[in-house]
Amino acid sequence: MAQPEPVLAVDALVVRFPTADGVVEAVRGVSWSVGPGQVLGIVGESGAGKSVSALAVMGLLPDPAVVSGSARLRGAELVGMAPRVLNRYRGERLAMIFQDPMSSLNPVRTVGWQLAEAVRVHHEVSRRDARSRAVELLELVGIPNPRQRARGYPHELSGGMRQRVVIAMAMANDPEVIIADEPTTALDVTVQAQILETLHRAREATGAAMVLITHDLGVVAGVADEVIVMYAGRVVERGGVDEVFYRPRMPYTQALLGSLPRVGPDGSGRSVPIPGAPPSLIDLPPGCPFAPRCSFARADCGDEPVLRLVEPPRHQVACHFSEQVASAWGGSGEPAARAVNGEVSGGRS
Amino acid sequence: MTVLAGASGTGVVVGQPVLAVRDLVVHFGARRRSRPPLAGRRSAGIVHAVCGVSFDLGAGETLGLVGESGCGKSTTARAVLQLVPPTSGSVRFEGRELTSLGTGELRRLRADLQMVFQDPYSSLDPRMSVGTSVAEPLRVHRRLGVHGEERVAELLRTVGLDPAHARRYPHEFSGGQRQRIGIARALALEPKVLVLDEPVSALDVSVKAGVVNLLEELQDRLGLAYLFVAHDLSVVGQISDRVAVMYLGKLVETGTAAAVYQHPSHPYTQALLSAVPQPDPALERRRRRIVLTGEVPSPVSPPSGCRFRTRCPKAAPVCAEEEPALVDRGQGHPVACHFAEAVDPGARCGIG
Repeated sequence: MAQPEPVLAVDALVVRFPTADGVVEAVRGVSWSVGPGQVLGIVGESGAGKSVSALAVMGLLPDPAVVSGSARLRGAELVGMAPRVLNRYRGERLAMIFQDPMSSLNPVRTVGWQLAEAVRVHHEVSRRDARSRAVELLELVGIPNPRQRARGYPHELSGGMRQRVVIAMAMANDPEVIIADEPTTALDVTVQAQILETLHRAREATGAAMVLITHDLGVVAGVADEVIVMYAGRVVERGGVDEVFYRPRMPYTQALLGSLPRVGPDGSGRSVPIPGAPPSLIDLPPGCPFAPRCSFARADCGDEPVLRLVEPPRHQVACHFSEQVASAWGGSGEPAARAVNGEVSGGRS
Repeated sequence: MTVLAGASGTGVVVGQPVLAVRDLVVHFGARRRSRPPLAGRRSAGIVHAVCGVSFDLGAGETLGLVGESGCGKSTTARAVLQLVPPTSGSVRFEGRELTSLGTGELRRLRADLQMVFQDPYSSLDPRMSVGTSVAEPLRVHRRLGVHGEERVAELLRTVGLDPAHARRYPHEFSGGQRQRIGIARALALEPKVLVLDEPVSALDVSVKAGVVNLLEELQDRLGLAYLFVAHDLSVVGQISDRVAVMYLGKLVETGTAAAVYQHPSHPYTQALLSAVPQPDPALERRRRRIVLTGEVPSPVSPPSGCRFRTRCPKAAPVCAEEEPALVDRGQGHPVACHFAEAVDPGARCGIG
């Protein structure tokens, strides 16, 4: 792969949580990387391990979690890094944006104070300078009257404004990578459009690479360069955004795309649910974890497929039948999961 | 399914709406704030949550009510069911005025008008088994009888759950399954109208489609009428026969789903539709989004004239003075805008 040196490279990442019922393997050997200025989208259903893998990279998982594998930021290994060293990386070179801005902001401090703190933690600047940097950041993310807003508290802001403050905080120290975990999920569509634009502006201003975790395939389609699809703690498909959306080779990706309702010019079209539910990650049975929900499933699926290259340079799929799966796909506009589920139902007029 | 079949067929003359809402107004009294607010705008006053909303809902029909958070869509839904008292206006169910009914009469009528809530985690009692939860409306309306258990099993089967799970508790179910339980409970009394307040917003995409399809099947089978409240335009477009777009307490555009989605004519509807991200990379790269600036103004002191004018790209002086009525302005469906102009979303997205 003739790609520039990645900024952040995750390799064979494994996360285990010991519980009373057994060990939950939430992330089972995940590898991805993101190049400078690139956007990597991570998609999948709840419980696929998207957020846990990001938290593992940030070193933010609670104590019982066991993380192994590697995550390198410009060559520096983050897994197992001493907290004192990691603290210097977090917020300065590696920033994270969470889904719920209300719980990532301190309710008893002003917005300006919190932004100034983020600056002062990593740089030796005067309070006054940190303060003016805070106002500058608020202006950068499109908050009107930034000077006045800086004196306000989080509860005085709307959800969209709070998320902008969180983005401003992530930008505060010109990070190399911004990990955004469902940054627009709790917001209205119009606000979501504003936030996506703000994220774009944040990337342009800082030149940071971005890892965008979301279950909304529409958000990823417009923003990402590369996409990975996760299922049951593994990457099941990985490729350029066009490859994954237009030529999906994994039945799960196709089913996921087929389950989406679309606002087409005709405003209609039936979406197809994925039958069954994701497997429990405690004592996962051997074989392909998607097999119980997959219409292509055959005897071979008893062996868990590994990610293999199906289309150079980078389209990889973990499925034994990716060729058949590819030919069953009806094309971009068609919810081809109909073919996947063998369910052909007349559209609603 | 003989027990459930009662709701379809008889009772409603074709063409006469099951539910007719006229000039519905809901105001909430706001309390004085102890600390002076930031912008100084939000002084003590009345929250104008719903300001003169009118619509009809026909038998077996789905009306989608869409809008952003705080536009009054949930309050409208609740006021229709008299769960919040309307300040003024009329809500008629099969010709009977609901706003003037006494508690006892209202309770009896509620069997015909049921609600499904957004959050299946908080709408089910965690200490009540699923069977008991589903049977509760039957018990309240003294219809449990000797066949209660069979009826509960049948309801669970209707929504695609295993009747053997009636003894289990809500925490043992996934989000999608819980929403199905909520739907089973709402169906228990064989209602004619189901008010669904963001029924699929909290669910994963793969599960969402299943619940939406279930709702469509139930409607076809039982002849239910749905008032479907949601902020997700793609789901609303899929399930609705007609759509009403709401902004700051008022309807700004109504029409068949095809008309509103194919020829959105109010600038707000156009902005809403253009903001929905599509799972199509090429389309996403090409299209120009109408990104609305600013936020929804406070419903305590809504703007004069057209309420959308503060964020509208087409705003002109007339918009501040004269409130545009919701009438057909040559687009084939009612639009509340002085400068209504149908736009082909295909062209906007850069297809044509």
